[in-house]
Amino acid sequence: MSTIGNMLSWTLDRPTKRLIGWAALSAAVAALSSILLLAISGWFLTGAAIAGAAGPIVAMGFNYLIPSATIRLLAISRTVSRYGERLLSHRAAMLAMAGLRGRLFGKLAAQDSRNAPDLSGGDASARLIGDIDALEDLIVRRPTLPASLIAAVVGVVLAAFAGWRAALVLAIALAILPFMLRMLAGRMTRQPARDAAEALGDLRTRYVAYAAARAEIAAYGLADRVDADLTRLATRLDKAQAALFRGEGAIAALLAFYAGLAVALVLIAGAGTGTPEHVALAILATAGAVEAMAALARTAFRQASVEEGLRRLTELDSLEGEPVRHEESDAAALPLRFAMHEVRPGDRIALTGRSGSGKTMLLEGLAGLRPATFDIAVGGNALADCTAATLRDQSSLSPQDAPMLAGSIADNLRLARPGVSEDAMWRVLAIACLDTRIRNAPEGLDTRLGEAGGMLSGGERKRLSLARALLTERPWLLLDEPTEGLDAATEATLIERLKQWLDTTGTGLVLVSHRQAPLALAHQSLAVESIPRLQAAAITPPATE
Amino acid sequence: MFWLIDVAGAALFAYGIADGVGALVGARSPEWPALLALILGATIRAGAVLLVHNSAIRSAQQVTVRWRARLFPRLLGGRIARPLLAGESATLAIDHVAAIEAHGARFQPVRMGASLSPLLVAVITAFASWVSALIMLGTMVPFIVGMILAGTAARHASERQLTALGELSGLFVDRVRNLPVIRHFGAEERITRQVTGATREVALRTIAVLRTAFISGAVLEFFSALAVALIAVYCGFSLLGLLPFSPPEHLTLTRAFFALAMAPEFYLPMRRLAAAYHEKQLGEAAMEALDEAVPDLPDTPAEPVSAFDGLTVSGLAIDWPGTRIGPLTFTLGNTDLVALTGPTGSGKTSVLAAIAGQITDFDGSVTTASGGRIAPEAIAWAAQRPLLLPGTLADNIALAAPDASREAIRAVAERVGLGVMLTERSEGLDLMLDHRGSGLSGGERRRLGLARAILSGRPLLLCDEPTADLDADSAADITALLTELGRERCVLVATHDPVLTEAARAEVTL
Repeated sequence: MSTIGNMLSWTLDRPTKRLIGWAALSAAVAALSSILLLAISGWFLTGAAIAGAAGPIVAMGFNYLIPSATIRLLAISRTVSRYGERLLSHRAAMLAMAGLRGRLFGKLAAQDSRNAPDLSGGDASARLIGDIDALEDLIVRRPTLPASLIAAVVGVVLAAFAGWRAALVLAIALAILPFMLRMLAGRMTRQPARDAAEALGDLRTRYVAYAAARAEIAAYGLADRVDADLTRLATRLDKAQAALFRGEGAIAALLAFYAGLAVALVLIAGAGTGTPEHVALAILATAGAVEAMAALARTAFRQASVEEGLRRLTELDSLEGEPVRHEESDAAALPLRFAMHEVRPGDRIALTGRSGSGKTMLLEGLAGLRPATFDIAVGGNALADCTAATLRDQSSLSPQDAPMLAGSIADNLRLARPGVSEDAMWRVLAIACLDTRIRNAPEGLDTRLGEAGGMLSGGERKRLSLARALLTERPWLLLDEPTEGLDAATEATLIERLKQWLDTTGTGLVLVSHRQAPLALAHQSLAVESIPRLQAAAITPPATE
Repeated sequence: MFWLIDVAGAALFAYGIADGVGALVGARSPEWPALLALILGATIRAGAVLLVHNSAIRSAQQVTVRWRARLFPRLLGGRIARPLLAGESATLAIDHVAAIEAHGARFQPVRMGASLSPLLVAVITAFASWVSALIMLGTMVPFIVGMILAGTAARHASERQLTALGELSGLFVDRVRNLPVIRHFGAEERITRQVTGATREVALRTIAVLRTAFISGAVLEFFSALAVALIAVYCGFSLLGLLPFSPPEHLTLTRAFFALAMAPEFYLPMRRLAAAYHEKQLGEAAMEALDEAVPDLPDTPAEPVSAFDGLTVSGLAIDWPGTRIGPLTFTLGNTDLVALTGPTGSGKTSVLAAIAGQITDFDGSVTTASGGRIAPEAIAWAAQRPLLLPGTLADNIALAAPDASREAIRAVAERVGLGVMLTERSEGLDLMLDHRGSGLSGGERRRLGLARAILSGRPLLLCDEPTADLDADSAADITALLTELGRERCVLVATHDPVLTEAARAEVTL
């Protein structure tokens, strides 16, 4: 539990800790009210029975007003404090998670793409969300931990009314319990938690691979074979999950049995020394105190599943750097060098090569999106020696897969140039031959793309990405298959308009294209095979500090 | 049902406490029966917990095994209404099934317990003090009213909260995935502000929503505490003989104490139910989503198939989110090569899937030239990324023709241009492949898919982007092969490669 505590502390700021403090206080009041409600009721009943048996005179003298009022008060305070605990702890968790999401995003954004953790895959980002959710769950439960400790102490104090022996018995029983819970949880959950995570990962990877080959599976009637293969993995997952669930049951069972044992022991210990009403108080307090330990059990049980995720989050959160505001600078254009081949600012070069020769990787390396894999220099410095800012100021890339943010068309254009006017947007859309299509879209520039492009076809996304790259007005335009999927007529128009734009602005071009038509834009061409590849050791980019 | 055993354990435990305290008042030491009842009661409760957990997970997994048996074949190899992305499909078959498992394991058992256990607790309590049992049942009425009032508000509130949180996760994941391009355009700081602002706003809205959502929990808490308090006060005054009315029953301390110890048990099942509410919601939502995605189709008696003598497609149109593909009308002869063209993402693959009978939601008709139904066994499919099953290269080529001889496999491998690879690698046809196809290049995989399709001997071949991402030389080889195949069978190729389109007899444009 302490390890999780340490892992948690980094994510909580002062206001959140204060909120958790209040939530813990509410939880403590709720736990106390619970214990006292039962304990005082028991004490009251026993006292009333003794007084009632002693005759009407004694019964009249029995002070029933205070206990009965207390009992009603406790019923209300338990309700209110439990509500307060839930609300405050959720408030703390929600705000802490909002802060963490923002901070984590900022840190990730401030990294150099060339050595940043890669979270572009669906699995990686889904895992990140899962980890954050697990952390949120932990924070929600955090206030119950001090509350169960306070409940334990109060339980022991109440047991002391029945004599020191009863108090001692309960104290020992409560002190041993957390260790037993942790041991049992460790033994029953550690391995299954690991197995379950692994089996789930395997099942998902394999399933996605099969889902991508769905058409063939259906055509050739291979569903049975695929099903058998997946079922094998699913069975492994089920086995681990069942073990995990049974482990949870075992911990709950331990707690139930332990309550009975503790009550019996306190009853024996208190029988000789305390008055009946005090023993009644003590045994009901004992039952309540053990029940309050359920929070510890839950934490112990979750520990194995949560630790791994927390470690991943801690690693991400310990990244250095803050996102800085980046003004488009009018950086002077620098010459490029591909191996021995110099390209002066404003020149246009086409890179040719067989599929799989690494043209896309080359462009992404030049744009600073990935470590350099080719011998290329910018302004006389090898790519690996250039800062991320230099690479960014020099080039504007329209990547092969044309990634788009979920948001409107205008949002995606503004990504490249904040505050850009609508006129400027329409100008670049016209060059990309996309203006008519978007004017006809339901909400024009404000049409939402939805995740992964949504309403635009692959070719249209490609052109939107081209328009976006034009907006930055950086010295070099990097285009990866800009006209893929276009019909010949549109392709010709696009190339003509692009040529005009390049002529007017004097922007340099590095082009990769399988198709012939766009190659007309280039003044020169170079085979990718003629550029030496770098050894793996040479591609460590400079640190971002 | 095992939760009923738990009630028996609780009763035994309560008896132990009551008898123990009763003995003390009689100035005796607690006797063995009381201690035994305590330990035995606790043991029974522990046993009940174990039984509940074991049987719950078993029956939950029996349910998920049935779901998977229905989902895997349908989603991966059966007819579905509309095309699905691999990721969507995985969410349905893996994440939704996990939600159903949690529903079965955590919610189902407590739901059964919640209806019977409180009544059983009241009946048992009635033996000691029927007035206390009446008090329990009496608190039930305002409790139910309170829950109905608070519950509706809570349900709406928490549904809204789930949607908002879902959207937030979506935004966060989207921005994290796109970080490289965000950095490239120097927008780190702006997007960070956007993400931070959005998360904070959703958090604050959620907190406001939770205020109402938690009221139902408070109602439960209040009535549960109230039942204890009322029973304690009634029993206490009854024992004192100070009730303002003549006592309807004669209480002893043991009886009173027993009623008090049973009081918290009355609302316990409801509290367990409340704790599993989240699993209930997610599980039900998952079942709904699955029933919608994979409806239980009645097996319509299939029309008899006719021998393949060419392909006729008329008025084929597919509704696509936001747009409509088609309508398309075209015919292919018994031996033919036709290109289906259109930009990436324009729905070429979906049209092929409709022709292959793999999706059901489309208009128009797909028949043989003579108007009959096409037998599924007449259609071969060459994919852009062909399926690989763990096994040898030969196994994988022969997936659609398991009885093919080794010579036939070798011949077809050489025909699609895998011959060089076979001679270069010592394992030849026995090269072991895993499902990722490590060791095969993109071009080699493509050729493997074609080899499989040819070996199947099926008269209609549907090819999905056979030359995409290949260099000019490789693409030319594949084009030549397809031209040759078009002279011996019916070939429909989805492509946006102008060279391949040129080689085809006709072009159908989307």
